[in-house]
Amino acid sequence: MNVNRRKILAAFGAGGLSMLPLSRALADGLPASLTGTSPIWIPSNAPVHPVPTTYAASGRVVVIGGGMAGATVAKYLRLWGGSKVQVTLVEPASAYVSNIMSNLVLNNQLTLNSLNFNWNRLVSNYGVKRVQATVRGIDPVAKKVTLDVGAPLLYDHLVVAPGIEFDVVPGLETAAARALVPHAWKTGPQTATLRTQIQGMAAGGTFLMSIPKAPYRCPPGPYERACIVADYFKRYKPGSKVIVLDENPGITAEAHTFGVAFSKLGIDYRPGVAVASVNASTRTVVTATGTQIKANVLNVIPNQRAGAVLASNGLVNVNGRWAGVNVLNYESTAAKNVHIIGDSSATTQPKAGHIANQEAKVCADAIVRAMLGLAPDSAIMTNSACYSPVSSTQASWLTAVFAYDPVSKTMKVVANNPAEAPSASAENLREMRQWFSNLMTDSFA
Amino acid sequence: MVKRNAWILLAACLPLQGIAQVAGTPPNGRLLASNCFQCHGTNGKAVSGFERLAGMSASELKSEMAEMKVEKEDGIMGVHAAAYTDAQIAAMAAYFASVKK
Repeated sequence: MNVNRRKILAAFGAGGLSMLPLSRALADGLPASLTGTSPIWIPSNAPVHPVPTTYAASGRVVVIGGGMAGATVAKYLRLWGGSKVQVTLVEPASAYVSNIMSNLVLNNQLTLNSLNFNWNRLVSNYGVKRVQATVRGIDPVAKKVTLDVGAPLLYDHLVVAPGIEFDVVPGLETAAARALVPHAWKTGPQTATLRTQIQGMAAGGTFLMSIPKAPYRCPPGPYERACIVADYFKRYKPGSKVIVLDENPGITAEAHTFGVAFSKLGIDYRPGVAVASVNASTRTVVTATGTQIKANVLNVIPNQRAGAVLASNGLVNVNGRWAGVNVLNYESTAAKNVHIIGDSSATTQPKAGHIANQEAKVCADAIVRAMLGLAPDSAIMTNSACYSPVSSTQASWLTAVFAYDPVSKTMKVVANNPAEAPSASAENLREMRQWFSNLMTDSFA
Repeated sequence: MVKRNAWILLAACLPLQGIAQVAGTPPNGRLLASNCFQCHGTNGKAVSGFERLAGMSASELKSEMAEMKVEKEDGIMGVHAAAYTDAQIAAMAAYFASVKK
């Protein structure tokens, strides 16, 4: 109650008592910076938190990967470790393009550019050293990372957060084939391609997407995408169809919300159907049981595994796909002083940006403690929360809180969790934009 | 009797000096409280929409969380509030109270 009341007051405060008509943004309870197709997610006046200079912790940390997990761990190592903890962030890209919110690029609600983030604030506000390079090798014995350019980096602790890698789908081996059938599950050029295909499709056509076998990145994401596309078709491409082939036996996240939305939007949902191969030029999928289905726009999301840098350095040791870790400090079960956070690690937690941010904080805290000769905190909690748009005007949410279980040595969902929103709403859509703004500011600024 | 109690008190204080924490030892409640930062901002300094928790009095935060534990209408916060023990909430509240507004 209090929270909602305060939120409303804050919105009115921003509008002032002027007699001018409230802009649509304010009427929606959002600051103007968060609306439109190019919102400003990290405000220019976001607070800067000082890096302490008197702390005792000291050491060199190299972070590989500048996504949600990597950016957050770099920031918090400085914030919580102080100025004698030297942090070097290695990332080959010139920008991080957010996967969260990216389905809203497909229906033109957001521009791709609006999802670009960079590491400039981590450098200027927190003294993180940024190296734009690709990792060639990790030597856990010499504690050394070699790069494609520049001198090798020596570390006391290494944090690896490379995100996911995709399996190769038979028929999609070439770049040309992948341009015809994009997965768009790593935001970037493929997202733009899929948007162009969806918007160029003639009314009455068929959009077919496939959902990979769990675990994959962002459990509600594929269902969210199906809803966003079906909602877009309803308004702009009447008579078009959405078919969803799910390799899983049923909806893996927010079964209630998406069950309701799928039937409302007339989505043809086919659980337990795996894609065996694709013919890109005819846009046809062949299922594991041999059925052929042709579509006008085809979006096959491949099965997923840990980032390639982990596999090539002997750090993938769970089911041949994921990297085993101790969830108290995210140290690899294959190498000492190497920590693996985010989507690549094998834990009971979902592969998603919000919880990757929390894994990064647990990891940063444990590394700082190790530098002080202290054991990791063993009473840890983490949480996953995610808002999902189900149409251009409504969203739902999903959340789960995890506690460390010393018996199984895993993060266990606490009682009455996970939970999903009772129903999709416009209020949730407003909160989604605020959530994303705060999350990205906590991670990148 | 008075003298003896004084000695006990003194003895009880000694180990505290012995384990004086080094600078930068993670404060109690900080890692727990960081679970709130994704939505409520780093150290509770939200930049958009969600309530700012930085500098809030511990008793206010504890009573809000207790209220949300029972009130279903708060939606996502009701789920989060119910997931933490009273002791954990007290530790988080003490941390946010220690942060400058």
